[in-house]
Amino acid sequence: MPHDNVIETCALDKFFGPVRALAEVTVSVRRGEFVACMGASGSGKTTLMNILTCLDTPSGGRVFLDGQDLSALDEDGRRTLRATKIGMVFQQFHIIPYLNALENVMLAQYYHSVTDESAARKILADVGLANRLTHLPAALSGGEQQRVCIARALVNEPPLLFADEPTGNLDEENEIIVLGLLQDLHRQGRTIVLVTHNPDLAAHADRVIRLHHGRVVE
Amino acid sequence: MAGVEKINRMFWRLVWRALAAGRGRAALAGAALTVGVAVACALTAVYFDINAKMSRELRTYGANFYLGPGEGGALMMEADFRQILADAPPGMVSAASPWLLGVARAESQKVVLAGVSFEGLRPLSAYWQVTGGWVGVDFDDRNAMLGVKLAEQLEMREGGEFALLRDAERKRLRVRGIVETGDVTDSLLLVNLAVAQDWLRQPGKISHALLRVANDSGQAGAWARELRVRYPALDIKPIRRVSAAEGRVLEKIRGLMGLVALVVLTLATLCVNTTLTAGVSARTAEFALMKALGARHAAIVRQILTETLLIATAAAAAGGALGWVLAQILGRAVFASPIEFRAPVLPLTVTLALTVALLAAIVPIRRAVRTEPARILKGE
Repeated sequence: MPHDNVIETCALDKFFGPVRALAEVTVSVRRGEFVACMGASGSGKTTLMNILTCLDTPSGGRVFLDGQDLSALDEDGRRTLRATKIGMVFQQFHIIPYLNALENVMLAQYYHSVTDESAARKILADVGLANRLTHLPAALSGGEQQRVCIARALVNEPPLLFADEPTGNLDEENEIIVLGLLQDLHRQGRTIVLVTHNPDLAAHADRVIRLHHGRVVE
Repeated sequence: MAGVEKINRMFWRLVWRALAAGRGRAALAGAALTVGVAVACALTAVYFDINAKMSRELRTYGANFYLGPGEGGALMMEADFRQILADAPPGMVSAASPWLLGVARAESQKVVLAGVSFEGLRPLSAYWQVTGGWVGVDFDDRNAMLGVKLAEQLEMREGGEFALLRDAERKRLRVRGIVETGDVTDSLLLVNLAVAQDWLRQPGKISHALLRVANDSGQAGAWARELRVRYPALDIKPIRRVSAAEGRVLEKIRGLMGLVALVVLTLATLCVNTTLTAGVSARTAEFALMKALGARHAAIVRQILTETLLIATAAAAAGGALGWVLAQILGRAVFASPIEFRAPVLPLTVTLALTVALLAAIVPIRRAVRTEPARILKGE
Protein backbone atom coordinates (compact mmCIF):
# COMPACT_ATOMS: atom_id res chain seq x y z
CA MET A 1 0.00 0.00 0.00
CA PRO A 2 1.49 3.35 -0.97
CA HIS A 3 2.43 5.77 1.79
CA ASP A 4 0.72 9.13 1.92
CA ASN A 5 4.02 10.90 2.34
CA VAL A 6 6.23 10.04 -0.57
CA ILE A 7 9.11 11.99 1.03
CA GLU A 8 9.81 12.27 4.73
CA THR A 9 12.96 13.57 6.37
CA CYS A 10 13.69 13.65 10.06
CA ALA A 11 16.33 15.95 11.58
CA LEU A 12 18.46 15.76 8.50
CA ASP A 13 22.04 17.00 8.85
CA LYS A 14 24.75 17.40 6.27
CA PHE A 15 28.27 18.57 6.94
CA PHE A 16 30.94 19.42 4.37
CA GLY A 17 33.96 19.45 6.65
CA PRO A 18 33.21 22.07 9.28
CA VAL A 19 30.41 23.60 7.23
CA ARG A 20 26.90 22.56 8.18
CA ALA A 21 24.95 22.63 4.92
CA LEU A 22 21.75 21.19 6.36
CA ALA A 23 20.66 21.52 10.00
CA GLU A 24 17.96 19.27 11.38
CA VAL A 25 15.81 19.52 8.29
CA THR A 26 12.46 17.84 8.77
CA VAL A 27 10.12 18.01 5.80
CA SER A 28 7.50 15.85 4.14
CA VAL A 29 5.92 15.79 0.71
CA ARG A 30 2.57 14.14 0.08
CA ARG A 31 1.92 11.92 -2.89
CA GLY A 32 0.77 13.99 -5.87
CA GLU A 33 1.95 17.25 -4.31
CA PHE A 34 3.84 19.97 -6.24
CA VAL A 35 6.36 21.43 -3.81
CA ALA A 36 8.83 24.21 -4.46
CA CYS A 37 12.05 24.30 -2.49
CA MET A 38 13.33 27.85 -2.31
CA GLY A 39 16.24 29.63 -0.82
CA ALA A 40 19.12 31.87 -1.64
CA SER A 41 22.32 30.54 -3.10
CA GLY A 42 24.07 28.46 -0.43
CA SER A 43 20.89 27.89 1.55
CA GLY A 44 21.20 24.11 1.17
CA LYS A 45 18.41 23.42 -1.33
CA THR A 46 20.65 21.57 -3.81
CA THR A 47 22.24 19.62 -0.96
CA LEU A 48 18.76 18.60 0.16
CA MET A 49 17.85 17.60 -3.39
CA ASN A 50 21.04 15.54 -3.77
CA ILE A 51 20.17 13.62 -0.60
CA LEU A 52 16.56 13.12 -1.62
CA THR A 53 17.63 11.84 -5.05
CA CYS A 54 20.14 9.43 -3.49
CA LEU A 55 23.07 11.20 -5.13
CA ASP A 56 24.45 12.03 -1.69
CA THR A 57 24.06 10.71 1.84
CA PRO A 58 23.20 12.69 4.96
CA SER A 59 25.58 13.13 7.88
CA GLY A 60 22.71 12.59 10.29
CA GLY A 61 18.98 12.15 10.47
CA ARG A 62 16.81 9.90 8.36
CA VAL A 63 15.16 10.03 4.97
CA PHE A 64 12.19 7.93 3.81
CA LEU A 65 11.41 7.76 0.12
CA ASP A 66 8.12 6.12 -0.75
CA GLY A 67 8.31 4.48 2.65
CA GLN A 68 11.84 3.20 2.20
CA ASP A 69 14.53 4.19 4.71
CA LEU A 70 17.50 5.45 2.70
CA SER A 71 19.92 4.94 5.58
CA ALA A 72 19.31 1.20 5.23
CA LEU A 73 20.47 1.21 1.61
CA ASP A 74 23.95 0.67 0.29
CA GLU A 75 25.29 2.27 -2.90
CA ASP A 76 23.65 -0.36 -5.08
CA GLY A 77 20.33 0.02 -3.27
CA ARG A 78 20.45 3.79 -3.73
CA ARG A 79 21.27 3.27 -7.42
CA THR A 80 18.25 0.99 -7.85
CA LEU A 81 16.01 3.46 -6.07
CA ARG A 82 17.31 6.26 -8.27
CA ALA A 83 16.59 4.26 -11.42
CA THR A 84 13.13 3.13 -10.39
CA LYS A 85 11.53 5.82 -8.25
CA ILE A 86 13.17 9.08 -9.16
CA GLY A 87 13.16 11.25 -12.23
CA MET A 88 15.62 14.14 -12.36
CA VAL A 89 15.79 17.30 -14.42
CA PHE A 90 18.83 19.56 -14.12
CA GLN A 91 19.41 23.20 -14.90
CA GLN A 92 22.19 22.35 -17.34
CA PHE A 93 20.21 19.77 -19.32
CA HIS A 94 22.92 17.06 -19.30
CA ILE A 95 22.16 15.16 -22.46
CA ILE A 96 24.59 12.71 -24.07
CA PRO A 97 25.77 14.73 -27.06
CA TYR A 98 26.27 11.81 -29.44
CA LEU A 99 22.84 10.25 -28.87
CA ASN A 100 19.74 11.65 -30.52
CA ALA A 101 16.64 12.73 -28.59
CA LEU A 102 15.04 9.29 -28.75
CA GLU A 103 18.23 7.50 -27.68
CA ASN A 104 18.77 9.92 -24.80
CA VAL A 105 15.34 9.02 -23.48
CA MET A 106 15.99 5.31 -24.05
CA LEU A 107 19.18 5.63 -22.00
CA ALA A 108 17.10 5.97 -18.85
CA GLN A 109 15.20 2.80 -19.83
CA TYR A 110 18.50 1.03 -20.50
CA TYR A 111 19.84 1.70 -17.01
CA HIS A 112 16.42 0.92 -15.52
CA SER A 113 15.67 -2.42 -17.19
CA VAL A 114 15.06 -2.81 -20.94
CA THR A 115 14.64 -0.27 -23.69
CA ASP A 116 11.23 0.26 -25.22
CA GLU A 117 11.41 2.50 -28.25
CA SER A 118 7.65 2.92 -28.63
CA ALA A 119 7.32 4.13 -25.02
CA ALA A 120 10.22 6.53 -25.57
CA ARG A 121 8.59 7.88 -28.77
CA LYS A 122 5.30 8.40 -26.95
CA ILE A 123 6.82 10.30 -24.05
CA LEU A 124 8.73 12.55 -26.45
CA ALA A 125 5.51 13.18 -28.33
CA ASP A 126 3.86 14.07 -25.01
CA VAL A 127 6.45 16.83 -24.46
CA GLY A 128 5.97 18.10 -27.99
CA LEU A 129 9.03 16.61 -29.64
CA ALA A 130 7.43 14.02 -31.94
CA ASN A 131 9.20 15.59 -34.92
CA ARG A 132 12.57 15.89 -33.20
CA LEU A 133 13.21 12.23 -32.35
CA THR A 134 16.32 11.72 -34.42
CA HIS A 135 17.87 15.11 -33.82
CA LEU A 136 21.14 15.29 -31.95
CA PRO A 137 21.20 17.67 -28.96
CA ALA A 138 23.30 20.15 -30.92
CA ALA A 139 20.40 20.53 -33.36
CA LEU A 140 17.86 21.19 -30.60
CA SER A 141 17.09 24.49 -28.88
CA GLY A 142 17.65 24.87 -25.14
CA GLY A 143 13.95 24.45 -24.49
CA GLU A 144 13.82 21.34 -26.62
CA GLN A 145 16.82 19.89 -24.85
CA GLN A 146 15.18 20.49 -21.49
CA ARG A 147 12.02 18.80 -22.75
CA VAL A 148 14.13 15.79 -23.77
CA CYS A 149 15.43 15.75 -20.18
CA ILE A 150 11.88 15.87 -18.82
CA ALA A 151 10.88 13.01 -21.14
CA ARG A 152 13.91 11.06 -19.97
CA ALA A 153 13.00 11.70 -16.34
CA LEU A 154 9.46 10.45 -16.91
CA VAL A 155 9.97 7.49 -19.23
CA ASN A 156 10.32 4.96 -16.42
CA GLU A 157 7.21 6.38 -14.75
CA PRO A 158 8.85 7.21 -11.42
CA PRO A 159 6.58 8.31 -8.58
CA LEU A 160 8.83 11.32 -7.92
CA LEU A 161 10.11 14.04 -10.22
CA PHE A 162 12.86 16.38 -9.02
CA ALA A 163 13.61 19.48 -11.05
CA ASP A 164 16.59 21.60 -10.05
CA GLU A 165 16.26 25.07 -11.57
CA PRO A 166 14.77 23.52 -14.73
CA THR A 167 14.20 26.89 -16.38
CA GLY A 168 17.43 28.51 -15.22
CA ASN A 169 19.03 28.33 -18.65
CA LEU A 170 15.91 28.98 -20.73
CA ASP A 171 14.43 32.05 -22.33
CA GLU A 172 10.97 33.21 -21.31
CA GLU A 173 9.17 31.36 -24.08
CA ASN A 174 10.75 28.04 -23.22
CA GLU A 175 10.36 28.71 -19.50
CA ILE A 176 6.61 28.92 -20.03
CA ILE A 177 6.61 25.68 -22.05
CA VAL A 178 8.60 23.77 -19.42
CA LEU A 179 6.57 25.16 -16.55
CA GLY A 180 3.39 24.19 -18.41
CA LEU A 181 4.72 20.67 -18.75
CA LEU A 182 5.40 20.44 -15.01
CA GLN A 183 1.91 21.69 -14.27
CA ASP A 184 0.43 19.12 -16.65
CA LEU A 185 2.37 16.39 -14.92
CA HIS A 186 1.16 17.62 -11.55
CA ARG A 187 -2.41 17.57 -12.80
CA GLN A 188 -1.85 13.97 -13.88
CA GLY A 189 -1.03 13.16 -10.26
CA ARG A 190 2.75 13.22 -10.38
CA THR A 191 4.69 14.26 -7.25
CA ILE A 192 7.04 17.09 -8.16
CA VAL A 193 9.77 18.77 -6.17
CA LEU A 194 10.96 21.95 -7.84
CA VAL A 195 14.17 23.55 -6.61
CA THR A 196 14.31 27.20 -7.54
CA HIS A 197 15.25 30.64 -6.35
CA ASN A 198 12.62 32.19 -8.63
CA PRO A 199 9.49 33.20 -6.67
CA ASP A 200 7.41 33.47 -9.86
CA LEU A 201 8.17 29.84 -10.62
CA ALA A 202 7.58 28.76 -7.02
CA ALA A 203 4.19 30.45 -7.09
CA HIS A 204 2.91 27.63 -9.32
CA ALA A 205 3.61 25.02 -6.62
CA ASP A 206 1.10 23.84 -4.02
CA ARG A 207 3.52 24.58 -1.24
CA VAL A 208 6.92 26.17 -0.69
CA ILE A 209 9.66 24.87 1.56
CA ARG A 210 12.02 27.74 2.28
CA LEU A 211 15.58 27.12 3.40
CA HIS A 212 17.96 29.59 5.00
CA HIS A 213 21.49 28.64 6.01
CA GLY A 214 20.54 24.96 5.92
CA ARG A 215 17.44 25.30 8.08
CA VAL A 216 13.78 25.15 7.10
CA VAL A 217 12.36 28.56 7.86
CA GLU A 218 8.93 28.15 6.30
CA MET B 1 7.51 -8.02 -26.54
CA ALA B 2 6.85 -5.66 -29.47
CA GLY B 3 8.99 -2.55 -29.55
CA VAL B 4 11.25 -3.70 -26.77
CA GLU B 5 14.89 -3.67 -27.77
CA LYS B 6 17.51 -5.96 -26.46
CA ILE B 7 19.75 -4.25 -23.90
CA ASN B 8 22.77 -5.26 -25.94
CA ARG B 9 21.60 -3.21 -28.88
CA MET B 10 21.55 -0.05 -26.76
CA PHE B 11 24.93 -0.96 -25.31
CA TRP B 12 26.54 -1.29 -28.74
CA ARG B 13 24.79 1.86 -29.90
CA LEU B 14 26.35 3.70 -26.95
CA VAL B 15 29.78 2.23 -27.63
CA TRP B 16 29.87 2.94 -31.36
CA ARG B 17 28.39 6.42 -31.03
CA ALA B 18 30.88 7.25 -28.26
CA LEU B 19 33.76 6.02 -30.42
CA ALA B 20 32.49 7.96 -33.42
CA ALA B 21 32.03 11.12 -31.36
CA GLY B 22 35.51 10.82 -29.90
CA ARG B 23 37.11 9.54 -33.09
CA GLY B 24 39.99 12.01 -32.84
CA ARG B 25 41.04 10.66 -29.46
CA ALA B 26 40.27 7.09 -30.48
CA ALA B 27 42.45 7.52 -33.56
CA LEU B 28 45.27 8.99 -31.48
CA ALA B 29 45.11 6.15 -28.94
CA GLY B 30 44.83 3.66 -31.78
CA ALA B 31 47.82 5.17 -33.57
CA ALA B 32 49.97 5.04 -30.44
CA LEU B 33 48.96 1.46 -29.83
CA THR B 34 49.51 0.55 -33.48
CA VAL B 35 53.06 1.90 -33.40
CA GLY B 36 53.80 0.11 -30.14
CA VAL B 37 52.36 -3.15 -31.38
CA ALA B 38 54.09 -2.81 -34.76
CA VAL B 39 57.51 -2.37 -33.18
CA ALA B 40 56.87 -5.15 -30.67
CA CYS B 41 55.54 -7.43 -33.41
CA ALA B 42 58.52 -6.73 -35.66
CA LEU B 43 61.01 -7.31 -32.87
CA THR B 44 59.16 -10.43 -31.76
CA ALA B 45 59.16 -11.81 -35.29
CA VAL B 46 62.87 -11.06 -35.61
CA TYR B 47 63.49 -12.43 -32.11
CA PHE B 48 61.97 -15.79 -32.93
CA ASP B 49 63.74 -15.92 -36.26
CA ILE B 50 67.03 -14.56 -35.04
CA ASN B 51 68.69 -17.81 -34.01
CA ALA B 52 68.69 -19.16 -37.49
CA LYS B 53 69.37 -15.77 -39.02
CA MET B 54 72.19 -14.85 -36.66
CA SER B 55 73.85 -18.22 -36.95
CA ARG B 56 73.72 -17.96 -40.71
CA GLU B 57 74.85 -14.35 -40.57
CA LEU B 58 77.70 -14.95 -38.18
CA ARG B 59 78.86 -17.87 -40.27
CA THR B 60 79.28 -15.46 -43.15
CA TYR B 61 81.70 -13.52 -41.00
CA GLY B 62 84.45 -15.96 -41.62
CA ALA B 63 86.06 -19.19 -40.79
CA ASN B 64 85.67 -20.95 -37.49
CA PHE B 65 88.30 -23.68 -37.91
CA TYR B 66 92.07 -23.54 -38.35
CA LEU B 67 94.51 -26.06 -39.81
CA GLY B 68 98.19 -25.26 -39.69
CA PRO B 69 101.65 -26.70 -39.22
CA GLY B 70 102.56 -27.92 -35.76
CA GLU B 71 104.99 -26.26 -33.41
CA GLY B 72 108.17 -25.16 -35.14
CA GLY B 73 106.85 -25.73 -38.63
CA ALA B 74 106.20 -22.95 -41.12
CA LEU B 75 104.37 -24.92 -43.74
CA MET B 76 102.16 -27.98 -44.06
CA MET B 77 101.34 -30.24 -46.94
CA GLU B 78 98.47 -29.25 -49.16
CA ALA B 79 97.74 -32.97 -49.53
CA ASP B 80 96.93 -33.23 -45.80
CA PHE B 81 94.47 -30.37 -46.14
CA ARG B 82 92.84 -32.06 -49.16
CA GLN B 83 92.69 -35.38 -47.32
CA ILE B 84 91.07 -33.81 -44.25
CA LEU B 85 88.44 -32.26 -46.48
CA ALA B 86 87.86 -35.54 -48.26
CA ASP B 87 87.49 -37.42 -44.97
CA ALA B 88 85.23 -34.88 -43.31
CA PRO B 89 81.74 -36.09 -42.39
CA PRO B 90 79.11 -35.04 -44.92
CA GLY B 91 77.93 -31.48 -44.30
CA MET B 92 80.69 -30.78 -41.79
CA VAL B 93 82.70 -28.37 -43.95
CA SER B 94 80.76 -25.73 -45.83
CA ALA B 95 83.72 -23.67 -47.08
CA ALA B 96 87.51 -23.90 -46.94
CA SER B 97 90.53 -22.23 -48.40
CA PRO B 98 94.24 -22.98 -48.12
CA TRP B 99 96.62 -20.07 -47.59
CA LEU B 100 100.25 -19.90 -48.69
CA LEU B 101 102.03 -16.74 -47.65
CA GLY B 102 105.38 -15.49 -48.87
CA VAL B 103 107.29 -12.40 -49.87
CA ALA B 104 107.56 -11.44 -53.51
CA ARG B 105 108.47 -8.37 -55.55
CA ALA B 106 105.79 -6.60 -57.47
CA GLU B 107 107.07 -3.86 -59.71
CA SER B 108 109.55 -2.10 -57.48
CA GLN B 109 108.06 -3.07 -54.13
CA LYS B 110 108.20 -6.03 -51.83
CA VAL B 111 104.75 -7.43 -51.24
CA VAL B 112 103.22 -10.25 -49.26
CA LEU B 113 101.92 -12.76 -51.76
CA ALA B 114 98.99 -14.89 -50.61
CA GLY B 115 97.96 -17.98 -52.51
CA VAL B 116 94.37 -18.98 -51.87
CA SER B 117 91.50 -20.92 -53.32
CA PHE B 118 89.24 -18.11 -54.48
CA GLU B 119 86.32 -20.51 -54.88
CA GLY B 120 86.68 -21.57 -51.24
CA LEU B 121 87.63 -18.16 -49.93
CA ARG B 122 84.68 -16.24 -51.27
CA PRO B 123 81.97 -17.87 -49.06
CA LEU B 124 84.34 -17.48 -46.09
CA SER B 125 84.73 -13.77 -46.73
CA ALA B 126 81.23 -12.44 -47.24
CA TYR B 127 82.09 -9.34 -45.22
CA TRP B 128 84.91 -8.30 -47.55
CA GLN B 129 84.20 -5.15 -49.50
CA VAL B 130 85.33 -5.87 -53.04
CA THR B 131 85.65 -3.22 -55.69
CA GLY B 132 85.65 -4.79 -59.13
CA GLY B 133 85.21 -8.54 -58.97
CA TRP B 134 86.46 -11.78 -57.51
CA VAL B 135 88.84 -14.09 -59.30
CA GLY B 136 86.26 -16.64 -60.35
CA VAL B 137 88.06 -19.95 -60.67
CA ASP B 138 90.96 -21.69 -59.02
CA PHE B 139 92.86 -22.31 -62.25
CA ASP B 140 92.97 -18.64 -63.20
CA ASP B 141 96.69 -17.71 -63.27
CA ARG B 142 96.36 -14.30 -64.92
CA ASN B 143 94.23 -12.39 -62.46
CA ALA B 144 94.86 -11.27 -58.90
CA MET B 145 93.15 -9.31 -56.17
CA LEU B 146 94.87 -6.54 -54.23
CA GLY B 147 94.30 -5.38 -50.69
CA VAL B 148 93.22 -1.77 -50.67
CA LYS B 149 96.41 -0.50 -48.99
CA LEU B 150 98.64 -2.39 -51.37
CA ALA B 151 96.62 -1.06 -54.32
CA GLU B 152 97.31 2.45 -53.09
CA GLN B 153 101.04 1.73 -52.77
CA LEU B 154 101.15 0.27 -56.27
CA GLU B 155 98.80 2.94 -57.55
CA MET B 156 96.66 0.22 -59.04
CA ARG B 157 92.97 0.11 -59.85
CA GLU B 158 90.80 -2.76 -60.94
CA GLY B 159 91.61 -3.62 -64.53
CA GLY B 160 95.19 -2.41 -64.15
CA GLU B 161 98.20 -4.64 -64.80
CA PHE B 162 101.47 -5.14 -62.98
CA ALA B 163 104.29 -7.63 -62.95
CA LEU B 164 105.73 -9.96 -60.36
CA LEU B 165 109.50 -9.91 -60.62
CA ARG B 166 111.84 -12.77 -59.76
CA ASP B 167 115.40 -12.34 -60.99
CA ALA B 168 114.94 -11.80 -64.69
CA GLU B 169 111.61 -13.48 -64.70
CA ARG B 170 108.39 -11.49 -64.97
CA LYS B 171 104.81 -12.61 -64.52
CA ARG B 172 102.13 -10.20 -65.62
CA LEU B 173 98.93 -10.11 -63.54
CA ARG B 174 95.75 -8.17 -64.03
CA VAL B 175 93.93 -6.63 -61.06
CA ARG B 176 90.51 -8.27 -60.98
CA GLY B 177 89.34 -6.64 -57.79
CA ILE B 178 90.43 -4.56 -54.80
CA VAL B 179 89.64 -5.87 -51.35
CA GLU B 180 88.93 -3.91 -48.19
CA THR B 181 88.62 -5.98 -45.02
CA GLY B 182 89.93 -3.80 -42.22
CA ASP B 183 92.61 -6.37 -41.36
CA VAL B 184 95.99 -7.45 -42.73
CA THR B 185 94.35 -8.69 -45.92
CA ASP B 186 94.29 -5.03 -47.00
CA SER B 187 98.05 -5.29 -47.57
CA LEU B 188 98.09 -8.63 -49.41
CA LEU B 189 98.43 -9.57 -53.02
CA LEU B 190 95.99 -12.45 -53.52
CA VAL B 191 96.52 -14.97 -56.27
CA ASN B 192 95.45 -18.55 -56.81
CA LEU B 193 97.31 -21.10 -54.71
CA ALA B 194 98.98 -22.73 -57.70
CA VAL B 195 100.40 -19.37 -58.84
CA ALA B 196 101.76 -18.64 -55.38
CA GLN B 197 103.22 -22.14 -54.95
CA ASP B 198 104.96 -21.80 -58.27
CA TRP B 199 106.21 -18.26 -57.72
CA LEU B 200 107.32 -18.87 -54.14
CA ARG B 201 108.79 -22.23 -55.13
CA GLN B 202 106.72 -24.08 -52.55
CA PRO B 203 104.99 -26.77 -54.61
CA GLY B 204 102.42 -28.79 -52.64
CA LYS B 205 102.86 -26.61 -49.53
CA ILE B 206 100.53 -24.26 -47.72
CA SER B 207 100.97 -22.02 -44.68
CA HIS B 208 97.63 -22.89 -43.16
CA ALA B 209 93.99 -23.39 -44.06
CA LEU B 210 90.81 -21.77 -42.83
CA LEU B 211 87.56 -23.66 -42.79
CA ARG B 212 83.97 -23.01 -41.84
CA VAL B 213 82.56 -26.09 -40.18
CA ALA B 214 79.16 -26.90 -38.72
CA ASN B 215 79.12 -26.14 -35.00
CA ASP B 216 75.41 -26.09 -34.07
CA SER B 217 75.99 -28.47 -31.19
CA GLY B 218 79.69 -27.96 -30.60
CA GLN B 219 80.76 -30.67 -33.02
CA ALA B 220 83.70 -28.55 -34.27
CA GLY B 221 85.59 -29.22 -31.03
CA ALA B 222 85.02 -32.95 -31.25
CA TRP B 223 86.14 -33.05 -34.86
CA ALA B 224 89.28 -31.06 -34.00
CA ARG B 225 90.16 -33.58 -31.25
CA GLU B 226 89.63 -36.45 -33.69
CA LEU B 227 91.83 -34.80 -36.33
CA ARG B 228 94.59 -34.04 -33.83
CA VAL B 229 94.83 -37.75 -33.13
CA ARG B 230 95.08 -38.55 -36.82
CA TYR B 231 97.40 -35.63 -37.66
CA PRO B 232 99.57 -35.10 -34.58
CA ALA B 233 102.02 -32.96 -36.53
CA LEU B 234 99.37 -30.40 -37.29
CA ASP B 235 97.88 -27.61 -35.28
CA ILE B 236 94.11 -28.11 -35.54
CA LYS B 237 91.59 -26.03 -33.61
CA PRO B 238 88.23 -24.36 -33.79
CA ILE B 239 88.52 -20.59 -33.80
CA ARG B 240 86.69 -20.10 -30.54
CA ARG B 241 86.76 -16.35 -30.74
CA VAL B 242 84.03 -16.43 -33.39
CA SER B 243 81.98 -19.23 -31.84
CA ALA B 244 81.90 -17.66 -28.42
CA ALA B 245 81.23 -14.25 -29.86
CA GLU B 246 78.27 -15.69 -31.68
CA GLY B 247 76.52 -16.56 -28.44
CA ARG B 248 77.36 -13.27 -26.78
CA VAL B 249 76.20 -11.23 -29.76
CA LEU B 250 72.95 -13.19 -29.91
CA GLU B 251 72.32 -12.65 -26.24
CA LYS B 252 73.04 -8.94 -26.44
CA ILE B 253 70.91 -8.44 -29.52
CA ARG B 254 68.02 -10.29 -27.90
CA GLY B 255 68.37 -8.21 -24.77
CA LEU B 256 68.51 -5.03 -26.82
CA MET B 257 65.41 -6.00 -28.76
CA GLY B 258 63.55 -6.82 -25.56
CA LEU B 259 64.57 -3.48 -24.08
CA VAL B 260 63.51 -1.54 -27.17
CA ALA B 261 60.17 -3.39 -27.25
CA LEU B 262 59.65 -2.69 -23.54
CA VAL B 263 60.44 1.01 -23.93
CA VAL B 264 58.18 1.38 -26.96
CA LEU B 265 55.33 -0.49 -25.29
CA THR B 266 55.73 1.58 -22.13
CA LEU B 267 55.58 4.77 -24.18
CA ALA B 268 52.55 3.44 -26.05
CA THR B 269 50.87 2.57 -22.74
CA LEU B 270 51.52 6.07 -21.39
CA CYS B 271 50.27 7.67 -24.59
CA VAL B 272 47.11 5.55 -24.67
CA ASN B 273 46.60 6.17 -20.96
CA THR B 274 46.93 9.93 -21.41
CA THR B 275 44.55 9.92 -24.35
CA LEU B 276 41.96 7.75 -22.61
CA THR B 277 42.23 9.80 -19.43
CA ALA B 278 41.71 13.00 -21.39
CA GLY B 279 38.73 11.35 -23.10
CA VAL B 280 37.19 10.32 -19.78
CA SER B 281 37.80 13.79 -18.34
CA ALA B 282 35.97 15.29 -21.29
CA ARG B 283 33.10 12.85 -20.70
CA THR B 284 32.83 13.36 -16.92
CA ALA B 285 29.32 14.84 -17.18
CA GLU B 286 28.30 11.90 -19.36
CA PHE B 287 29.39 9.33 -16.78
CA ALA B 288 27.89 11.40 -13.97
CA LEU B 289 24.58 11.42 -15.83
CA MET B 290 24.76 7.67 -16.41
CA LYS B 291 25.29 7.11 -12.71
CA ALA B 292 22.45 9.49 -11.88
CA LEU B 293 20.20 7.49 -14.21
CA GLY B 294 21.07 4.34 -12.33
CA ALA B 295 24.09 2.94 -14.17
CA ARG B 296 26.07 0.44 -12.14
CA HIS B 297 29.84 0.85 -11.89
CA ALA B 298 30.10 -2.36 -13.88
CA ALA B 299 28.12 -0.82 -16.74
CA ILE B 300 30.50 2.13 -16.95
CA VAL B 301 33.55 -0.15 -16.67
CA ARG B 302 32.10 -2.38 -19.40
CA GLN B 303 31.50 0.55 -21.71
CA ILE B 304 35.00 2.03 -21.36
CA LEU B 305 36.63 -1.39 -21.57
CA THR B 306 34.67 -2.28 -24.69
CA GLU B 307 35.59 1.00 -26.35
CA THR B 308 39.23 0.45 -25.38
CA LEU B 309 39.30 -3.16 -26.54
CA LEU B 310 37.74 -2.22 -29.88
CA ILE B 311 40.50 0.35 -30.36
CA ALA B 312 43.06 -2.25 -29.23
CA THR B 313 41.71 -4.88 -31.61
CA ALA B 314 41.92 -2.51 -34.55
CA ALA B 315 45.42 -1.48 -33.40
CA ALA B 316 46.46 -5.13 -33.04
CA ALA B 317 45.36 -5.85 -36.60
CA ALA B 318 46.98 -2.72 -38.02
CA GLY B 319 50.05 -3.00 -35.80
CA GLY B 320 50.44 -6.68 -36.59
CA ALA B 321 50.36 -6.04 -40.32
CA LEU B 322 52.66 -3.03 -40.02
CA GLY B 323 54.97 -4.97 -37.71
CA TRP B 324 55.19 -7.81 -40.19
CA VAL B 325 56.21 -5.40 -42.93
CA LEU B 326 58.69 -3.78 -40.54
CA ALA B 327 60.08 -7.22 -39.68
CA GLN B 328 60.61 -7.96 -43.37
CA ILE B 329 62.38 -4.61 -43.82
CA LEU B 330 64.57 -5.35 -40.79
CA GLY B 331 65.22 -8.86 -42.05
CA ARG B 332 66.26 -7.66 -45.46
CA ALA B 333 68.29 -4.73 -44.14
CA VAL B 334 70.12 -6.66 -41.43
CA PHE B 335 70.13 -10.26 -42.58
CA ALA B 336 69.47 -9.86 -46.30
CA SER B 337 66.66 -12.37 -46.07
CA PRO B 338 62.97 -12.34 -45.21
CA ILE B 339 61.80 -13.07 -41.67
CA GLU B 340 59.87 -16.30 -41.51
CA PHE B 341 56.51 -16.45 -39.75
CA ARG B 342 56.77 -18.10 -36.35
CA ALA B 343 53.61 -19.30 -34.62
CA PRO B 344 54.08 -17.45 -31.29
CA VAL B 345 54.20 -14.02 -32.97
CA LEU B 346 50.46 -13.72 -33.62
CA PRO B 347 49.11 -14.55 -30.14
CA LEU B 348 51.92 -12.58 -28.55
CA THR B 349 51.08 -9.51 -30.64
CA VAL B 350 47.38 -9.68 -29.81
CA THR B 351 48.14 -10.28 -26.13
CA LEU B 352 50.54 -7.33 -26.06
CA ALA B 353 47.99 -5.00 -27.67
CA LEU B 354 45.24 -6.01 -25.29
CA THR B 355 47.52 -5.90 -22.25
CA VAL B 356 48.81 -2.44 -23.10
CA ALA B 357 45.26 -1.21 -23.71
CA LEU B 358 43.95 -2.71 -20.49
CA LEU B 359 46.82 -1.30 -18.45
CA ALA B 360 46.28 2.08 -20.05
CA ALA B 361 42.55 1.94 -19.24
CA ILE B 362 42.95 1.34 -15.50
CA VAL B 363 43.37 4.99 -14.50
CA PRO B 364 40.63 6.37 -16.79
CA ILE B 365 38.19 3.69 -15.62
CA ARG B 366 38.89 4.46 -11.97
CA ARG B 367 38.36 8.12 -12.70
CA ALA B 368 35.07 7.48 -14.50
CA VAL B 369 33.77 5.22 -11.76
CA ARG B 370 34.69 7.73 -9.06
CA THR B 371 32.73 10.50 -10.77
CA GLU B 372 30.46 12.20 -8.26
CA PRO B 373 27.17 12.92 -10.03
CA ALA B 374 25.95 15.36 -7.36
CA ARG B 375 28.95 17.63 -7.87
CA ILE B 376 29.33 17.25 -11.63
CA LEU B 377 25.67 17.59 -12.57
CA LYS B 378 25.41 20.76 -10.54
CA GLY B 379 28.13 22.09 -12.83
CA GLU B 380 30.88 22.35 -10.20
